Amino acid sequence: MSEEAAEHGQDPTRAKPLFQIGPVALPKAVAAAVVALALWLTPAESEEHSESLIHVAIKGEVLFHIGPIAVTNSMVGTLIATLTLVVLAAWASRNSALIPGRLQSLLEFPLEFLGGVIRDLQPTRFGAIFPPILTLFLLVLFANYVGLLPGVGTVGLQVLEEGHEATVPIIRPASADLNFTLALALISFALFVSWGIRANGLRGYLKETFVANPWYMTPLMTPIHIVSELSRIISLSMRLFGNIFAGEILLAVVLALTFAVVPALFLGLEAIFGAVQALVFALLTLTYITLATAGHGGGHDEAHDSPPQDADDVALRAGAH
Amino acid sequence: MDLTPLAAGLAIGLGALGPGIGLGLGVSKAMEALGRNPEASGAIFVPYVLGLALTEAVAIYALVIGLLILFT
Repeated sequence: MSEEAAEHGQDPTRAKPLFQIGPVALPKAVAAAVVALALWLTPAESEEHSESLIHVAIKGEVLFHIGPIAVTNSMVGTLIATLTLVVLAAWASRNSALIPGRLQSLLEFPLEFLGGVIRDLQPTRFGAIFPPILTLFLLVLFANYVGLLPGVGTVGLQVLEEGHEATVPIIRPASADLNFTLALALISFALFVSWGIRANGLRGYLKETFVANPWYMTPLMTPIHIVSELSRIISLSMRLFGNIFAGEILLAVVLALTFAVVPALFLGLEAIFGAVQALVFALLTLTYITLATAGHGGGHDEAHDSPPQDADDVALRAGAH
Repeated sequence: MDLTPLAAGLAIGLGALGPGIGLGLGVSKAMEALGRNPEASGAIFVPYVLGLALTEAVAIYALVIGLLILFT
């Protein structure tokens, strides 16, 4: 103990107390106490109905009807995400100062990052490609973050469902609904197909798709090529849906099992995953557009930059973003 | 005997084996490349994140099948 006292800069000749709390031990003890308290206060599972502890629904649940249209809780979430995005964009473009404040710098960060990536990949078509990619990124980002707001997934209506009471949440994150992600994936598909047609002409695009490089490989390569292009829709939608929906279930399970501080850690995890999935969606769309507009033989340098030539090149690329 | 929970568990359990190994390999190679050339982090980052997302998507497909089995 006296070594610790000497370490911590105290006078070792002082009367040594029986128990000394160092600078690291106290936060550790507090954290352990909080976790122990959280686990102790966990509500016991109720085995009455042999139903699940949490309410999980793959589809968005209908809240009410406007005429023939059913409004689901995912639509409410989508509305929140898009309204926030529109209001934020209008505010930022109106009040943009030359020396940005904190909020403006925060909003400019994705712009600069994506702008750098697009400028490296497609410098010629930058002005036309940048807005859709940025929009996709911000929309998916805000849609994912709806799930982190307080009250989402927990505040709901009590309904009688299949004979037992269930709570239908009023708000559900937009991208936890397969309809939303499928719509975005279809928009992505339309984007890269239209870019391919615009860049190479209709004949050029059909030639890329239906005629393989050595002509005799065509009957083998054509179905593979078509399926791989169509499967991009499925992969884009499923990836986003699976990540965010699984995150919602994870949050619900953690909230049902533990208490206090522990769910906050998983909220942080969900925040990270939401941002990564948004970035991946936008970057993948950009990659598909680049592949489609590549033309003959140019599809090899898709998202990879050509290898750096020398040290100056590396420094240039590293500083480019 | 209801095999549905077993099916869902197997779906995600076996389906996460491959992507788990794949993700580890990808991250290790990226770390290696970063270690050899720390200034190339900007050039590594975008392909790295893309590769991670595409690999993880396979695990997500398995998860979606598991969820479908459980809840439909």
